[in-house]
Amino acid sequence: MLEIKNLHAGVKGKAILDGLNLKVNPGELHAIMGRNGSGKSTLANIITGRENYEITSGEVRFNGKDLEEMAPEDRALEGIFMSFQYPVVIPGVNNTYFLRAALNAKLKHYEKKEINAADFMHLIREKLKLVNMDEKYLSRAVNDGFSGGEKKRNEILQMLTLEPKLSILDETDSGLDIDALKIVAKGVNNFRDSSRSFIAITHYQRLLEYMEPDFIHVLINGKIVKSGDISLAQEIEQKGYSWLES
Amino acid sequence: MKYFRDEFDTLINSNKNENDKLTMLRKKSFEVFMESGLPTSKWEDWRFTNFSSIKNGSFRLSSLKDFDGVPKVLPGRIPNTHLVLIVNGRYQPDLSDVPKEIAITSGAEHFKSYSEFYSLESMQLNWSKGLNPFYTLNTSMMDSGLSLRVEDNAIISKPIQIIYLTTSTANEIMNHPRFVFHAGSNSQATLVEHYLGYMTNSYFNNPVTMIELDNNSFMNHIRIQEETGNSHHVANTFYKLNRESTLNVNSASFGSLLYRHNINLKFCGNNSSADYSALSLAKQKQHHDQHIIVEHASDACLSNQLFKYILSDDSSGVFNGKVVVEENTKRTNASQSNKNLVLSPSALMNANPQLEIYAEDVKCSHGSTTGQIDPEALFYLKSRGLNHEKSMELIMNGFISDIIELVKNENVGDYLNEIAAQQLEKILI
Repeated sequence: MLEIKNLHAGVKGKAILDGLNLKVNPGELHAIMGRNGSGKSTLANIITGRENYEITSGEVRFNGKDLEEMAPEDRALEGIFMSFQYPVVIPGVNNTYFLRAALNAKLKHYEKKEINAADFMHLIREKLKLVNMDEKYLSRAVNDGFSGGEKKRNEILQMLTLEPKLSILDETDSGLDIDALKIVAKGVNNFRDSSRSFIAITHYQRLLEYMEPDFIHVLINGKIVKSGDISLAQEIEQKGYSWLES
Repeated sequence: MKYFRDEFDTLINSNKNENDKLTMLRKKSFEVFMESGLPTSKWEDWRFTNFSSIKNGSFRLSSLKDFDGVPKVLPGRIPNTHLVLIVNGRYQPDLSDVPKEIAITSGAEHFKSYSEFYSLESMQLNWSKGLNPFYTLNTSMMDSGLSLRVEDNAIISKPIQIIYLTTSTANEIMNHPRFVFHAGSNSQATLVEHYLGYMTNSYFNNPVTMIELDNNSFMNHIRIQEETGNSHHVANTFYKLNRESTLNVNSASFGSLLYRHNINLKFCGNNSSADYSALSLAKQKQHHDQHIIVEHASDACLSNQLFKYILSDDSSGVFNGKVVVEENTKRTNASQSNKNLVLSPSALMNANPQLEIYAEDVKCSHGSTTGQIDPEALFYLKSRGLNHEKSMELIMNGFISDIIELVKNENVGDYLNEIAAQQLEKILI
């Protein structure tokens, strides 16, 4: 699904990732842990194609395709999704209209019939239930007036609707209370199957308690210094990161 | 400037049987106009707008000969509205459909019967800041327009769409229409003042619109400026609100190479309110300049202003808004907001919101922001699979959506939404 080889990358000329290797197979959930500034968000931004983030050497392949030359929208159409750490407010753009436009862009890309407004309402109502969101959010502008938890649930709603192959959850647990965290985790867990992959980026073990990561990777100074199973996350919770720093 | 003199002389000679009062008014106004000349960059309130294309142009007054029929399919028609049609300055009563509760008089008749209403002295008295060269030019040559009076207590549910159509003529023409819209006591009406260009050569429209709301009346005034892209449109609009009246204005400007609109709004009775929203979309070398003065001269009046501009290519915009709260007025509530989206490095916006407060019992707010498309918003939409054009379209439509939502009549709102979307599409190409 995703293959990253010896990736060196940075933002606006500042080097951040320093030889990162990662392979994510279909059905796997990988958690990337690390302190602030370790390069976690840079990795997410490189995969999704955010402006100003550049690969200096190495490669990132998604289902065999080199991502470097692909526009962000093309990566999305190919099946990459990111749940934003800070979801963006887009004033005046209706949430439902936006989400249907996004779904239709994807359907069109796969040469499928676009979904009409009535069928979409039916679909979105089902998805809303999965993340305990009220229908009133559908008539609001994208993320406008949403609380932190509502924004994160809205991200998961988008994920469930667009059905990506690879979902990157960038600090999805930050700013969530325990109930919201459980809802978000449940949304992700129900969505997991043998064909979908996930990368969960987080500071803490907290989110991982409610999901079942297959691998834990610790990112320090732009490199994965240690990989393991859930027990590694528990160890970090107790001992912090310093024992992993050389 | 010489062409103004020639045209004026022709007008006076061909209207020899006009009444003396009106002829005197024309002559006096023309003198005042010629003395002042057109505004220059040295005039504080006019400095961002260059009128050399009008000054150095040669526009002749439109005449009866300029009317050679109406396009088969009338452009710009809004469904489910009454129609009042004016083509190249000529009112078309046969093609118009005016409800019986509205008294309609052609401009020429109205000038004759009420010439004191048009006198410069009466203007000076009521609108000391409203006398400007384009106003006096209009008064000296006003040759078309209408007076519409909504009867007291009349409630007219269907909007009246006044289409002021300019179609192709042999020469570059100018028109100085004068509109008087009067809402009688307790009346309710929606008037759409719609300027529409349907020609290829350049022209110059210089309308003056006087609107008065009597006690406890309600008026929706929608002003649509869809002149052709090489035309000149300079306008003066005056709103006088009497006691307990309510005014809602939605202005939308899409056309004209040179567009300047002076808006004067005055509260002349207690407990009145006015909402004014204006959307301006400019592209290529278009210049859109709007000046508004809202004068709170009575107690407990409420005014809200929202001006939004989207500027692309080499276009430019000017917003100058002033709220004046007169001495000894009480419980004034006034807000003013201006938001601008500048899409290209060569587009330019000049914004100047001002407050002049001479009273103490006042709640006022004002603000102006000018920015570009938020790159975070753009990335967010793209990261969901929307391409650049669709993402830009969503953001821009989102930017103007609150203005469109302020339009109270659904058919009018739909029309504006559609025209705005077409304009935005052109901007994106």
